[in-house]
Amino acid sequence: MDVLAQQLFNGLTIGSVYSLVALGLTLVYGILHIPNFAHGALYMVGGYVTLMTMTTLGLPYFVAMFMSILVVGGIAVLMERLVFHQLRHSPPIHDKIAAIGLLLFLETLVQLIWGADYRSMTTPFDDIVSFLGITVTTQRILIVVAAVLVMIALHLFLKKTMIGAAIIAMSQNREGAFLQGINANRVAMLTFFISGGLAAIAASISSPINLVYPGMGHLVILKAFVIIIIGGMGSVPGAIIGGYILGFSESLGATFISSDYSDIIAFVLLVAILTVKPQGLFAKGAH
Amino acid sequence: MGMFLGGLLLLMTTACSEEDPSSTDTAAPPGAPAGSGGEEVEEQTEVVEGTEVVNIGFSGPLSGAGAYYGNNTLNGLTMAIDEINADGGIEVDGEMHSLNLVSLDDQYLPDETGANARRLVQESDTPVIFVPHSGGTYATQIFNEQDEVLLASYSSEPEITQQGNDLTMRIPPTYDAYVEPFSEYQMERFGPKLSMLPPSTEFGMDWAEELKPVWESLGGEVVHEGSVDYSMDTDFFTVVTNALSDDPDVLFVGGSSEPTAQVMQQARELGFEGGFLIMDQAKLDEIDNVLGGAPDVIDGSVGVAPLVYDIHEGNEQFIHDYQEEHGNDPGSEAGYHYYAVYIIAEAMQEAGTVEDAHAIRENLDDGLHQVPEDKRIYDVSEVDEQGGMTTELRMAVVEDGEIELVDFDD
Repeated sequence: MDVLAQQLFNGLTIGSVYSLVALGLTLVYGILHIPNFAHGALYMVGGYVTLMTMTTLGLPYFVAMFMSILVVGGIAVLMERLVFHQLRHSPPIHDKIAAIGLLLFLETLVQLIWGADYRSMTTPFDDIVSFLGITVTTQRILIVVAAVLVMIALHLFLKKTMIGAAIIAMSQNREGAFLQGINANRVAMLTFFISGGLAAIAASISSPINLVYPGMGHLVILKAFVIIIIGGMGSVPGAIIGGYILGFSESLGATFISSDYSDIIAFVLLVAILTVKPQGLFAKGAH
Repeated sequence: MGMFLGGLLLLMTTACSEEDPSSTDTAAPPGAPAGSGGEEVEEQTEVVEGTEVVNIGFSGPLSGAGAYYGNNTLNGLTMAIDEINADGGIEVDGEMHSLNLVSLDDQYLPDETGANARRLVQESDTPVIFVPHSGGTYATQIFNEQDEVLLASYSSEPEITQQGNDLTMRIPPTYDAYVEPFSEYQMERFGPKLSMLPPSTEFGMDWAEELKPVWESLGGEVVHEGSVDYSMDTDFFTVVTNALSDDPDVLFVGGSSEPTAQVMQQARELGFEGGFLIMDQAKLDEIDNVLGGAPDVIDGSVGVAPLVYDIHEGNEQFIHDYQEEHGNDPGSEAGYHYYAVYIIAEAMQEAGTVEDAHAIRENLDDGLHQVPEDKRIYDVSEVDEQGGMTTELRMAVVEDGEIELVDFDD
């Protein structure tokens, strides 16, 4: 087993998941101008919906993932309509409190419905493959491939479609976007839907290598916050690059420095990057 | 921006404080949302009319990351109390008393446990408080003697009964008893090279510290000393890869069953063919369940004996009732808590008081021997001078994919 190659792949796997979660967070930041604390809860709900669709309805993995995108996207849209939209004239602190409230609500709700037990998600992709001196399961390859495909699709959507352009316009300058006749409500709802969908995909592909439980979102969302700060709040490329930076720094740091310090490395990196570029690697608006 | 960092900090503080030392810690990812703990959970036990009511306190993780574990401990308490009340209660000093459980949520945070324990004493006047983790136990030990309340701790940390607290009862056996028999078995079966990958909780570190010299004194070699942080590592592949890089014969793992199962499975995926030495917190049957039945993963493991593999006259009824009521197998935390309620109830009758914690504590050993045969979930020989329950120990090993129990002497 080639440790370096193995760890590079491990970094790639976990970086892919981080990037997807951070992307959803960064997109919504463009609309809300606050980080959506409830994003981790959406991630968790995504994991549960996929798992429960598979186990109770007996649907195949990819169908379950699709269901999960719809459900979580729907919840995100509801969040926007029922909570954040109503608070649009309030000071930002109200949004933050509401987001934390939503986080607690969703977590408690899931625990009430499905209990606090840890569950494992089994997929058809548990074969073990070895190549170039590394050993991985097909699920891990799926994570990397799926994440890259989703990122490419998102990029094309944002760059090549009118709606995508409207999302970017909104995040760059809200008033300017209004003046151009962009329907802010529609764009906001769509952004929340995409954000929820990304969380659902990330949860669905990473749950098989992890566990599904009510607190699963906290772990990932904390890293996602770090990533969007590193990458620049609201920046799409920043979220992607930031995700991989964190993924690699964790796996390589744990190998060549010490596993005890792998988190410190990520935060030292955060401090270093912010010292040099206080706005993050990709300043906001530089889409 | 400043506000946001504040928020992030808030999340991070919760994440970090979640890693409190706890012997029976569950996964402890930064689960507990930043909220006020100590919420009273609805009354779960019914008291008998026309009797004096004795409040029994409990403070444990009922929400957040440790919720699953906390609720299991509570199930054991609730079952015992309901049974005792259904039989009409206990007769103490000529008067009938029924037990009432007052449970508070501490989300696994020791400071919350401390606040809860205070509240239980002041508001409910509880003579006994159950605390199912070592962090909360230490926090309660600071004042339980002064407040005269018996602390029934479910923690296998030897220290909690060694520091001379007069009102502490330790329910499970201490972990140090497992270290040598586990090591001997695995070294003989797989070889002398040990790689250590305990959880980064205080309990995990203490275990590792105990294990290393024992392993070396038996002629073994420790080839890797790592740890895994279940509350921060999103993926264990990285640390497992490193732990296996020196080609060990035996891998030391642990923590709560679910993430431990994950670590073990990933080690197998990475081609590890040796044995697992599992800390007393994780249970082999639970690990097997989490993995959906994976005999090839758990084969070659040694760990504590799961309750459902240790069925005898004393626990048959309990296991049956528990399965009926909750739809799953009871773990040792439920079994030990159930047993402990009976011991304390008997001790109260022996002591002739439901209030004097000192008298109850002194009569625990007598109480133990009064517990009816069919309530003796474990083979406990005594409650020793320091308040620790002495349990006859056995270990579980997995041979050819089957979990088997072995006496320590074999």
